[in-house]
Amino acid sequence: MLLRIGRLTKRYRIHDGGFLEAVADVSFEVHAGECFGLLGPNGAGKSTAIHCISGFYPPTRGEVLIDGINVHADPKRARQVLGVCAQEDTLDTDFRVFDQLVRYATFFRIPVEEARRRAAALLTRFGIEDKAGELVERLSGGMKRRLQVARALISRPKVLVLDEPTTGLDPGMRRALWEILMDERAKGAAILLCTHYMEEAERLCDRVGLIAKGRIVDIDTPRSLIARCIGAEPVAEELRPGVIWTRPPNLEDVYLKLTGARLHEPELTA
Amino acid sequence: MNIADSLWAVRCVWLRYFDVFRNSLPYYLVTTFIEPFLYVLAFGVGVGSLVGSLQAGGEEVSYRRFVFSGILGQTLLFQGFYEASYGGFVRMYYQKIFNAMAVTPITLSEVLWGELLWDATKATVAAEIVAVIGVAAGDFPLHAPLAVLPVAFASSLLFAGMGLAVAARSRTIEEISYPQYLLVFPMFLFCGVFFPVESLPAALQWAAWALPLTSVNSLMRTLTLGFPFQARSVPILAAWLIALVAFSRRAMVRRLVK
Repeated sequence: MLLRIGRLTKRYRIHDGGFLEAVADVSFEVHAGECFGLLGPNGAGKSTAIHCISGFYPPTRGEVLIDGINVHADPKRARQVLGVCAQEDTLDTDFRVFDQLVRYATFFRIPVEEARRRAAALLTRFGIEDKAGELVERLSGGMKRRLQVARALISRPKVLVLDEPTTGLDPGMRRALWEILMDERAKGAAILLCTHYMEEAERLCDRVGLIAKGRIVDIDTPRSLIARCIGAEPVAEELRPGVIWTRPPNLEDVYLKLTGARLHEPELTA
Repeated sequence: MNIADSLWAVRCVWLRYFDVFRNSLPYYLVTTFIEPFLYVLAFGVGVGSLVGSLQAGGEEVSYRRFVFSGILGQTLLFQGFYEASYGGFVRMYYQKIFNAMAVTPITLSEVLWGELLWDATKATVAAEIVAVIGVAAGDFPLHAPLAVLPVAFASSLLFAGMGLAVAARSRTIEEISYPQYLLVFPMFLFCGVFFPVESLPAALQWAAWALPLTSVNSLMRTLTLGFPFQARSVPILAAWLIALVAFSRRAMVRRLVK
């Protein structure tokens, strides 16, 4: 396996002086050529888990092995094969689009000429080659998101960790990004995808871990989770008072059944 | 951890800053060098023509030469502090580039060394240019730019540490104004840039010597004007340097890492 999380726990002090256990006893593995989804709503502990997995936060307990290397004991070697796309925008706005990728590649000891070749190829692959000379801050939100995922791929990582990579993308862009991720998976990358989009998890992930209040409540393939927890019968859902429709069961139903919470808070209506 | 690896990583971070500097050279040239010019012009030439000369460090010296040397310390203070405080806050809070770099094979510790060393480099270069102009104006001896280099770099690192500590401890960018007005400006005004510290009342002299800029100015005047060496300035400078660099790095790690 390329990524192994063993009993990862992260507890930290919060503003009122108390402690929050943001990640509790989380264990899972991601194999080469597998996409593993961490599915949960905002605040479930996904981003804290990612900060621990990338080695940025030290864990309170547990370990993270990337290609067999403990990321907290030897972060330099472990991160040489790791690509991370954070949930927040961490693009370097002091650089133009192309230069940003090249500069980032040098952090992985990639020679500049090779970095330039890879950057050009990635910009084409992500459909933003015409923006190569633009300042990052002039890009639209969707373009920035694509650039950030592209940046995570510049080192051709064996392990790719993506935190809500498609947030803010329109449906067309989202599908294009899914195709790129599936392509990376087919090439043998181990992908950890944190998302609160049920459809994304069902479409992309070979296995899904459902996370609530920092704990993994179940892990399985999307199909098995649905079959085990809900069954094959259509689910009746009230769209608005008096209007009921039936649809196939999905991971949202599984999450609701196992945790009592929804992946998305229902929108407020006037 | 391999030291060569760490040095390479710090160099990588430093080069990132150098790239940005090179890409915006006209902007940086104006913002970095115009300020010392204005001070020298206003105080050295303007006020200097009124004051003539003064007695300082047991020597008679023209006010223009006295201020020119003080501007070296002021340049180190302002350039080091502002680049690390406002610039550091923007990079840490808005751009989040510390987070972005520290999930690559470069560690957060190396990112922060790169930040501090760049801030110090930029301030040192600015002070060196002031020193070269001082030589050209006939106020400093020919060897002054080389002679002040070690003290200039150590002082820049000290003030960068001060700025980065402020960035790490400020919740908002506006909060940087507190240390700016309560610490940086008092240092600028009372630590010997514009008048000898000895002309202050005894209690204020003691307070001025407790702050690092007085030591910086004292050493700069020894190296550029030949004033007597004040032995206490070295341990004061070293203590501030070690304390601020260590504190700023610790504060920034605490700010970023849960």
